[in-house]
Amino acid sequence: MSLELKIQSLKLNEGENPVRKKAIIVAVAGNPNSGKSTLINAIAGTRLQVGNWPGVTVEKKTAVFEYEGRKIKLVDLPGTYSLSPYTQEEIIARDYLVHEKPDVIIDVVDATNLERNLYLTIQLLELGIPVVIALNIYDEAMKKGYKIDIKAMEKMLGVRVIPTIATKKSGLKELLKAITEIVDNPAIHIPKRLHYEEDFELAAASVESYIKTTYPHLAEKYPLRWFSFKLLEGDQHVLQEINLSENETFIKDIREHLKRSHGDDIESLMADERYAQASGLTHEVLKKPETRKIEMTEKIDRIVLNRFFGIPIFLAAMWLVFKLTFDVSGPFADWLDAMITGPFKRWAETILGFIHAPEWTVSLATDGIIAGVGFVIVFVPVIFAMMFFITFLEGSGYMARAAFVMDRLMHAIGLHGKSFIPMLLGFGCNVPAIYATRVLENPRDKALTALLIPLMSCGARLPVYVVFVGAFFPHNAGTVIWSLYVMGISLAILMGVIFKKTLFKGEAPVFIMELPPYRMPYFRSLMIHTWEKGKHFLIKAGTYILAVSIIVWFLLNLPWGVENKRDSYLGKMGQVIAPVLEPLGFGKWEAASSLVAGLIAKEIVVGTMGEIYVPKLEDKKEEKPSLTEDLKEIGTSLVSAAKDSIANIFSTFGIASLSSEESPEMKEERESLRNVIRKQFTPLTAYAFMSFVLLYMPCVVAAIALRQEFGTWKWYGIAFVYQMALAWIVAFMIYQGGKIIGLG
Amino acid sequence: MNLSMLKPGEAGKITSISAIGPLKRRLMDMGVLVGEIVKVEKVAPLGDPIEVTIKNYNLSLRKKEAEGIEVEVVK
Repeated sequence: MSLELKIQSLKLNEGENPVRKKAIIVAVAGNPNSGKSTLINAIAGTRLQVGNWPGVTVEKKTAVFEYEGRKIKLVDLPGTYSLSPYTQEEIIARDYLVHEKPDVIIDVVDATNLERNLYLTIQLLELGIPVVIALNIYDEAMKKGYKIDIKAMEKMLGVRVIPTIATKKSGLKELLKAITEIVDNPAIHIPKRLHYEEDFELAAASVESYIKTTYPHLAEKYPLRWFSFKLLEGDQHVLQEINLSENETFIKDIREHLKRSHGDDIESLMADERYAQASGLTHEVLKKPETRKIEMTEKIDRIVLNRFFGIPIFLAAMWLVFKLTFDVSGPFADWLDAMITGPFKRWAETILGFIHAPEWTVSLATDGIIAGVGFVIVFVPVIFAMMFFITFLEGSGYMARAAFVMDRLMHAIGLHGKSFIPMLLGFGCNVPAIYATRVLENPRDKALTALLIPLMSCGARLPVYVVFVGAFFPHNAGTVIWSLYVMGISLAILMGVIFKKTLFKGEAPVFIMELPPYRMPYFRSLMIHTWEKGKHFLIKAGTYILAVSIIVWFLLNLPWGVENKRDSYLGKMGQVIAPVLEPLGFGKWEAASSLVAGLIAKEIVVGTMGEIYVPKLEDKKEEKPSLTEDLKEIGTSLVSAAKDSIANIFSTFGIASLSSEESPEMKEERESLRNVIRKQFTPLTAYAFMSFVLLYMPCVVAAIALRQEFGTWKWYGIAFVYQMALAWIVAFMIYQGGKIIGLG
Repeated sequence: MNLSMLKPGEAGKITSISAIGPLKRRLMDMGVLVGEIVKVEKVAPLGDPIEVTIKNYNLSLRKKEAEGIEVEVVK
């Protein structure tokens, strides 16, 4: 796939070329906010495949498609401002370019911000790979009255420059055409050498010839000019890779000489030089209008980042995002749940009954597999909704503002301003919250945020509180539940500070962030990202979750035919664990077993308790609805779910009123559970138990989200251990402390 | 005088950058270079970070990082 190979075979045969069957590899590079993803989405659309770069959590997008009979493979590099080796994104982009040697680089340049974008372009040109510039967001530049001399730009850089407006799909054909032209004739499309100051040119030239003679294998492996510059800069990443000492005498001498005559570190000098080139180029090709209009972004920011309004606006925006994420997806999740536990389960039972399947297989299929599938599927709407709103916040430019407003607060516990949003979503459900940590670029910020998210009391913990608070604190219900939320937040702050000083010791990542202009996100991009994430969750995470729920089914029901839950594997596990919980005030097998079952999802703690304490009344033989009735039910309830979803949007704005209906049976069941609990717990042990449920291990879906997002079980392991310890210690302190002051 | 001391609306010319290593390189990659004019636009509602314009775009950084950027005030 190397360039030389391609040139050779092109020379061999101009017409029916076998190489043309091979995909043209096109790397897409560019600054963040240059409209790079929009451009890729516009070109590739649904052919886009989203994965991760090997070994890291950075997203990798690729697409293979045909253009005029040629196969083209687009590889999206992470958005970077530079190719220096300090961020994960930069290292990925540059390793790919240097080692994989794509056939062409598309450099997406924001036409409204030419100078800073050209700084990256200049570094790309040094790699000796043909480059084509997509001068993107061209319409906005025109609107601002910018005049860009494209011919002059092409001449000065020696590369093709194609104006594009990705959001309107304009210029894309020309871009693809330029790529095929370049591949057909790469030799004349090698970018120009831009000249550095004479001293640097001389130094680079002598390093080049030194490498060629002393290390010929390196000269073949790396683009020579780029390589020499990196050696001059003393680039640690490159030096490590080739196992060459910084003190290699020859190079050291040249570096010392440069330092003596220029009096600064060479890396900075090179950056200065590159910016000088970018600035010179910009001056040559760009004419700006004399008077500058006050721009929309400026006007919006005057309000949005205002000293007094900034925070209220931010909080209002966050409340809206939270409500929309969970309220819009909620009715669909309920609908899916009802469909799967209702008609689907009934159908499976009917079919299995018809073929006289043994009772345990029916139970496995319905309570294990179908319930498991249902369990995975109910998460899908919320993942979709979260992804949609997060992508919207990022694409619109507000995410950076949110980080700007919140950074002071979040920085205090060692987090980044952007951490606020994933943490907030955690109150709805930890699973989308963990996926939302992708807004954080730095791996340290991301990991720390994800570790603290499980301390945000999610919606699944609420049913546990409701049952216990109803049984013991009916008159202070609100205060008690509120105290648990506050406990979670306080412990997150405490753990944040502890982690900062232990697990994440050392220099905190810097906060140097662009505040990009506000832009309307491109709807197609939003949809593609949302769809990809939802699909990914369903397939990748779904498999794991299904497996775990089947295992739990076995635990609950085996040995087959146990009358008393105490004799099931789960009951036996509870009996083993109970003594550990004794000092916390709830060392009973019933409580312990419920906690084990809570691994699946914390609300299951209540369900399991119900099954253990309140043996179900004999199932009423209900009349089974016919297939047509079932189908009708599916359809009408979907319509009502959609209606509820829309109504919820309005109720978010306080127009409609939400009436949650609860069947009398559910109320009755909960009351009888409360009656038993009142005998088994005291107010003190109940509070200790609720605290334990709040804090102990993340549920299995959160665990899988952690695994998916970080590509390793490491962070789940850490979360599991610290949360278990924290839950035990806190419950211990509450129970023992309460006993001492006479609350027991 | 360093960048963190400038008030919103004030501008300065960068005279030196005392940061080292990754932080310095990151600043330079973002166009924060000696000789560049930098204008403070806003301070975040909670007092940190700050927003500046440099090279025709908006950048935010924490005061701690701004302290390492020496400037002389320009009118």
